[in-house]
Amino acid sequence: SPRIQTDFGLVSLLFCTHRHDYCVLGAGPAGLQMGYFLSQTQRDYIILERNSGPGSFFNVYPRHRKLISINKVYTGRRNPEFNLRHDWNSLLSDRPDLLFKRVSTQLYPRADALPRYLSLFAEELGLRIKYGVDIGKIHVSEPAFHGGHGYRLTDQNGLEYTCGILLVCTGLWVPQEVNFFGSELVEGYESIPVDPEEYRGQAVLILGKGNSAFETAQSILGRASRIHLYSPSPVRLAWQTHYVGDLRAVNNELLDTYQLKSLDGLVEGGLEEIAIVRYDSEERNKSSRRKKHGSVEMKGRGQLYLTLDELLDNQNKTLAFSPMTLPGYHNDNFSLRQPYDRVIRCLGFRFNFSIFEGAASLLHSGMARGRLPAVTAWYEGKGTPGLFVLGTASHSRDYRSSAGGFIHGFRYTIRAVHWILEQRYHNRAWPTTKLQTTQLLSWLLRRVNEASGPYQMFGVLGDIVLLRGSHFEYLEEFPLQALAQFSTLSGHRVTKSGMLVLVMQYGLNRTDTLGSGRAESEWTWAWRSNFLHPVLYYYSTIPTEQEMKHRPAGWPLPRPKAIHHMIEDFLTEWDGPMSHIQPLRRFLEHCLQTDLRAFYAESCFRFSLTYREPPIFCRLGYLKKQGVIGNRKLWQHAREAGLMPTHHDSGTPKEDMSFQNYITKAAASVASGMNFHL
Amino acid sequence: MKSGSDLLKTFGTDTVFDVNAIVAHVLFTVLFDEVKSVETQEELRNIERAVKGRADIVLAQLPMLGLPEHRAVMEAAFVYGAKHQFVLTKGGSLERLGIEDPDSPGSHLWFLHCREVLRQSDPCQHTTLKKPLTTLNVYTFLQLMETPLVTEASVDPSDVKTVGSHLHAPLLFLFSQRETLALDRVTAETLGWRLRGEVAVVLIHRDSADVRTPVEYNAAYRLPAEGSVIKYFNLKSIEEVVNLFREDTVQEEEEDIDEDWAVLDVLDDEVVESVYRDRDVELDVGLVTELTSDTFSKAVQESNTAVVLFFVRWDAASLAVMQSFKEVADALEDIADVQLACVDCGEWTDVCSSQLIAAFPTVRMYWSGGLPHTYTGMLGTESLLKYIMLSLAAAPVLLSSSQEVQSFLQGDLFHTQATLSPTRVVGLLSSSQDSGWPMFEGAAQALRGETLLGLFADQQAEQWAKDHNVKLPAILVFRAPDSTIKAHSLQLSSTEQLVSDIQKLLLDTFPELTVENLPLYLELRKPLLLLFLGPEGDEEQGQGLDRRDAREELHRLADTSLLDTYVPCWVHLGRTPAGRAVLESYLGSIPQLPALVLSQLASGGEVFHFPSESPLNSDTVLQWLHRVERKEEQPAGLVLDEKWGPSVPFYDFLSIMDQEVPGYAAQKTPKMTKNMVGEKGSDEEPGHSNRTPSTKKHMPQQEVPTSHQHSEF
Repeated sequence: SPRIQTDFGLVSLLFCTHRHDYCVLGAGPAGLQMGYFLSQTQRDYIILERNSGPGSFFNVYPRHRKLISINKVYTGRRNPEFNLRHDWNSLLSDRPDLLFKRVSTQLYPRADALPRYLSLFAEELGLRIKYGVDIGKIHVSEPAFHGGHGYRLTDQNGLEYTCGILLVCTGLWVPQEVNFFGSELVEGYESIPVDPEEYRGQAVLILGKGNSAFETAQSILGRASRIHLYSPSPVRLAWQTHYVGDLRAVNNELLDTYQLKSLDGLVEGGLEEIAIVRYDSEERNKSSRRKKHGSVEMKGRGQLYLTLDELLDNQNKTLAFSPMTLPGYHNDNFSLRQPYDRVIRCLGFRFNFSIFEGAASLLHSGMARGRLPAVTAWYEGKGTPGLFVLGTASHSRDYRSSAGGFIHGFRYTIRAVHWILEQRYHNRAWPTTKLQTTQLLSWLLRRVNEASGPYQMFGVLGDIVLLRGSHFEYLEEFPLQALAQFSTLSGHRVTKSGMLVLVMQYGLNRTDTLGSGRAESEWTWAWRSNFLHPVLYYYSTIPTEQEMKHRPAGWPLPRPKAIHHMIEDFLTEWDGPMSHIQPLRRFLEHCLQTDLRAFYAESCFRFSLTYREPPIFCRLGYLKKQGVIGNRKLWQHAREAGLMPTHHDSGTPKEDMSFQNYITKAAASVASGMNFHL
Repeated sequence: MKSGSDLLKTFGTDTVFDVNAIVAHVLFTVLFDEVKSVETQEELRNIERAVKGRADIVLAQLPMLGLPEHRAVMEAAFVYGAKHQFVLTKGGSLERLGIEDPDSPGSHLWFLHCREVLRQSDPCQHTTLKKPLTTLNVYTFLQLMETPLVTEASVDPSDVKTVGSHLHAPLLFLFSQRETLALDRVTAETLGWRLRGEVAVVLIHRDSADVRTPVEYNAAYRLPAEGSVIKYFNLKSIEEVVNLFREDTVQEEEEDIDEDWAVLDVLDDEVVESVYRDRDVELDVGLVTELTSDTFSKAVQESNTAVVLFFVRWDAASLAVMQSFKEVADALEDIADVQLACVDCGEWTDVCSSQLIAAFPTVRMYWSGGLPHTYTGMLGTESLLKYIMLSLAAAPVLLSSSQEVQSFLQGDLFHTQATLSPTRVVGLLSSSQDSGWPMFEGAAQALRGETLLGLFADQQAEQWAKDHNVKLPAILVFRAPDSTIKAHSLQLSSTEQLVSDIQKLLLDTFPELTVENLPLYLELRKPLLLLFLGPEGDEEQGQGLDRRDAREELHRLADTSLLDTYVPCWVHLGRTPAGRAVLESYLGSIPQLPALVLSQLASGGEVFHFPSESPLNSDTVLQWLHRVERKEEQPAGLVLDEKWGPSVPFYDFLSIMDQEVPGYAAQKTPKMTKNMVGEKGSDEEPGHSNRTPSTKKHMPQQEVPTSHQHSEF
């Protein structure tokens, strides 16, 4: 693999300063996050941004200015790692005060807070950003860059930037459009007026049923007369699918007005098959005169009709409008038969593929109708080595399943990519924590109870435990889909002791989110848990690519040698000795084939003298002079439970001896008698 | 009672007051070899140990002999004596079972399931006979003990023929189908354990055509009474079923707390369990200060000495150590210089990460003007207290005159600490310019809290060395029990070497082994020559082996170099009662005390017992050791060579998935993958192609949940 030499200083002098080991394209949340990690490892990097400040997307979007990423400031906890589970806007850094709550304490903050936060982040961490650089063309640089690809970027002034590694953090900002007859009559989310008064009394058809569609509907609900939402698939509710990209409850008032039959409604249908036709005043007069011919009545101020492409022949397309071309003419209870004042397109955004040329071209992912570039499990463009796609644009890996398209998800995948870059280009292995095996249980519980990365990026990032006998190495937040390439990407080996993977997962049973029986409480039923819960996979060797490919349907990983589900918990606190800890310990004991119980020093004393080798807890603690002594009260408890032997206590008063005497006498008499066999 | 012409036994008329008494006593005599009697649980444990893996135990508590209960038990023993180990007790000292109320003198009977126990360290589970001790009840009970926990059948309940049907025991039927078989088996086994000895549990495979039970029921039972009918019901919880039988058949006994013994949800970790039993007491840290991210830095910077316990609440060892830590805080309440504090790493994870805490619990000492020191000693009240107190002394203590050396060694300097530390060490150097100085300083820091280390760098050091017949650099080691001072010359090469040399010199030549110091001596990896001494006044006299003589003999021997290949040591069974279990494990029983044992822990694993009839003196011991070396002695026991595998089998979710939802956990075959692509690989809106407005006009949501009950509780 190519290694970047550190003698760039001289080269840079010769070729002017526009040459960097790392170019980060875009100063949005993802670009700044990557910039932070590169600055932490003191890499030669530059962030290129066409606008004059960071996060410019948020200067415009969301149009109605309410962020729907949760900013929960009051969690009742002071654990900063845990709190990130409920802070969806902050970026990761080593500054405990550089969190989003500094700019807003609202649960759903104003969108302006985000660029403000990003400016603060960039400024306080001294990130190197060049504003006003609008990259229009990206080529593979020639000659090849240190054995691998390099990339050449050209800006609006023809200035060139040569980069060893290109990190594309440009987000999604090109509005997604659909072509149908009359689509030029449709307004776009990006340019609609946001003042509700502009919609007073109007009938509005919104194309799309995502958050931007509902956000738009919600803002005009009190002014518009009728709002219909139209798109191919039914609404997916985030609280049902656990996917934050689906419709969030914060925007869903229209569901109420629809279900309470209060004029609004949702309709499913293909976008390619429709057409929008305008009835202008000239036509209107004509048709009024011929009123007796048409069954379609024109009411209100409506001008735009939804119809079906198949109803328009080529001739009609030029003629534009006649009642016969409307579905209501053929089907008198057609849902969308009434005209609209406005048709608004809220179909989301797509990646800007246009700037990547030649060998630098990015492929389209099969996900999200080709709106996203195709990337590997470690976020490198497919076919573009050295070019990584980060941030929202990298969402094809976990589209509609996890949080990789959102700040609270991609902040972790970016960290993962950074470690992969460090290993590949600088020979620095993924950081691990090396701990004694006796600490495995409490370390896993620690992660399970506080870690934010696997919690937010459930099913995508998982912690890896490399078992090594009496110790283990703990590696955080590895991209699971890249597990087959683990050794190459992380720089660590798996020994014959095998490995564990800790993943947070939702259950598969998504039928009745609020119904009875939606949660399990018996730990033996943990595998049927529906809510987010920890799952441990045990492998004796790294799964192969084939095994990854053929993993059970719906599983993040292939069938392991053993699996353990920790029962979902209402409070997401997995620390119950019976329900959580002991079952986990027994699973680990099975994987490690060793007794992991804890013992008081007294028990260790006994085992150390009577066994060739005492249990691991005694070996690594007591025998290293670090036994847990306990006290009388605790020993008493353990003895009462039958777990520690009770000592023959010389202080016990000798009781009536008659029973014993009787037996002693009987023994003597039998002994003196004869050998008696039955 | 006679056998042929031999008189077997005579009975006093007071013991054979009626037919029960006669039968009982006669059987008792006849079965003498088979029926054991115990008075202490020690004795009971010996029996358990002997039969584990081989046989089960029937334990009867009989407060009086000759009663009908006695007869019933003896009659059962007559029949089953060859199969089970029968044990009689007068009762009152069997707390181990956790059932006995020593004040209730009634007759009871338990069945101890020792036969299935695979490892010595595991306890035998037990079942209580809940009915009066009659011959029939005991017989039924023992028969039920022999039946499997759960029988399985593929016929209708009315056709089931199991041991239960002729035993006057109620039958409980559970219905299962193929998909839920694994889980149903777990339920059935749990119930089997709960109802063992009272009810026979039968698992019926409903898939069989012979089963005619309506599907709306998942359970049924039949009481033993003649002609009683099968009653069908729906099993909702285990408790419910248990109660059903308790109410129906057992009236006299209240539900027993310890009945859950055998089910999965019993904590089997002594530390976890003992901490868990205190869960009603909210974790109160007493005089220990709880530190947070906001207070940590200030607290460790501002106090002279701060001892901090880093812990997590889900780690039982942490909570156990917290108990000791609180006791230390109480003991140090009046010492203003020392602050005891703790950090909950579950909450203040940032503090613990920045302090690089990699193990729970960790005890670390912070002091003004020095690097923090992580405590690596025993985590108990005394050890911690000693560590903290000794740490308060300077390291090293700089001594400036011969008088100071004298008074330091005698314990007059640092009196408080000196009483805690049985040893004191003085390094002797000719001057403070000596190259050994920094090494001594380093060693003193490393040994801080472990012992008191003084440093005397002066011309007069030469004189001290001369007086003790050594050359500089040297150290003097003072040992409290016998107040001896020994001097040793040193080869100073590195601080680490010096530390390890000093640690070796601090070891006793003939130590009393305790729970706390054993690891120090095991580290030497030599065979242990152990002298077990009973508590004072607990020894049988008249064998010529006096405890003091034996100890002094061995001590003398230990001070020569003749035992250099061994670690000679002694264990006081009164102060270290765990030694008794060790001795038992070595020899199978407690021999006459004092007992001298050679344990080849590190090599071979054989245990030799010095013949208790021989006089114990230097010569006999040495001769015995030679015989052992020449392999002329038979080992009296073995050090156990078992591996500490998983304590219980784990709950195999994979196999349960495979049974409950076949295919769910299976790898896809390459062919399957192709089929799955359309379904899983594509994220596109399902079926949107045919949902045009013309065909589906108005589509209300299909999957809106209807029930609003939260069932999480």
